[in-house]
Amino acid sequence: MALHLNLLHEEIREQRQRQRDPLKIGMMVLGALGALMFLYYIWNAYQVLGIRNQLNAEQNDWSKIEPKVTAAQKRSAELNDIINTTKVLDGMIDSRFFWAPFLEKLSRCVALNAQITSIDGAVLDDNKGVSVMIEGLAAGREPRAAAEELRQLLLEQLGQSYHDVKVEFKTLEDLDTLVKIGGANMAMARFALSASFNPSATAKAAPPPARTSTK
Amino acid sequence: MKKLNLSKDQIQKLALSTIGFVVLLYVYFSFFLGPLSKSRDSMLASRNDIRNKKGSSANEMTKTANLEKQASAATMRYAALTNLSPEGAPIAWFPPRMKIFFSNQQIDKTTARLESNVPYKEADLSGWMRYNWTLDLPQTDFSTLGKAVAELENTEPLLSINHINIHALADDPQFQQVTLSVATAILKR
Repeated sequence: MALHLNLLHEEIREQRQRQRDPLKIGMMVLGALGALMFLYYIWNAYQVLGIRNQLNAEQNDWSKIEPKVTAAQKRSAELNDIINTTKVLDGMIDSRFFWAPFLEKLSRCVALNAQITSIDGAVLDDNKGVSVMIEGLAAGREPRAAAEELRQLLLEQLGQSYHDVKVEFKTLEDLDTLVKIGGANMAMARFALSASFNPSATAKAAPPPARTSTK
Repeated sequence: MKKLNLSKDQIQKLALSTIGFVVLLYVYFSFFLGPLSKSRDSMLASRNDIRNKKGSSANEMTKTANLEKQASAATMRYAALTNLSPEGAPIAWFPPRMKIFFSNQQIDKTTARLESNVPYKEADLSGWMRYNWTLDLPQTDFSTLGKAVAELENTEPLLSINHINIHALADDPQFQQVTLSVATAILKR
């Protein structure tokens, strides 16, 4: 075996030491890591830039749409108000009591031998009903019967259109004065009728006819 | 296993590298990546928020368009009802209107007095007021009155007669004196 002399062992040792210098290695590792992190940062920044562009585009779109949406919301609220108000007003209109049909019915009940001198009617609060005070005179051989006929007729007429109809005499008194009807003298009676009814109540269901068992 | 023999100088350098590494990580996350992520998150949230708004706005506009179609009848009806309340104070136009109305029905010298005006309790009628009036018809016959009342009730939907008083005139029982208490819904102007 040939003898091999290393005369540069000190220089080689120093070179090896330089190569495994921890600071140098550390700096290299740090540099590599820094480069990786920088690349990752750039990638993220690029993505953020993309999102920002999207956001700007969306904001531009929204700024164009927003006034229309606000106007639509305002109009929607306005329409809802109109619908609700109209509904309430229609309810009020529909729940009114019409006096003209009542006056027509009353006029049909007054016979030639009766005269109404006063009518005082009122719609009770919250449309709970109608109350009418009717005063008048009736003449005939039996003036009280003429007044009663008027009451019966009124009860029948009002019962055709209204509910819970009540027609009662408040006063019924004979008068001393006579009146000439058709050339004949007739006695007179003064009456006061109180009528009350409910124009809006639902009609009560008529009871079913009783079945008669036939054997 | 080969034991790593490090000199003091090497250990110092190693420690310095480690500190440098930690500082690098701190600076990177705190001053670069952290704010960037925060900014990205906030932008994403804003973008999603706008997208949601756009989605709901399309829905809202469709709903409004549908409502507009459905409410056409109500809108026309409402316009007709509001047209019954002219501009100006009701005391200025309601009595003349009643006078003309009854005059057209052959009932002259009608007077209308304002008794009171109150707001409605219903929230939907916050823009309307209830006016209570007394109408005096000094002389009419029953048949004319009946027709006039029927016409009044048909042509004035916002008017309701709450009280009616008819009594025969003492000197001429063929004619009657009539007092009507009416309430009208009038739009606030």
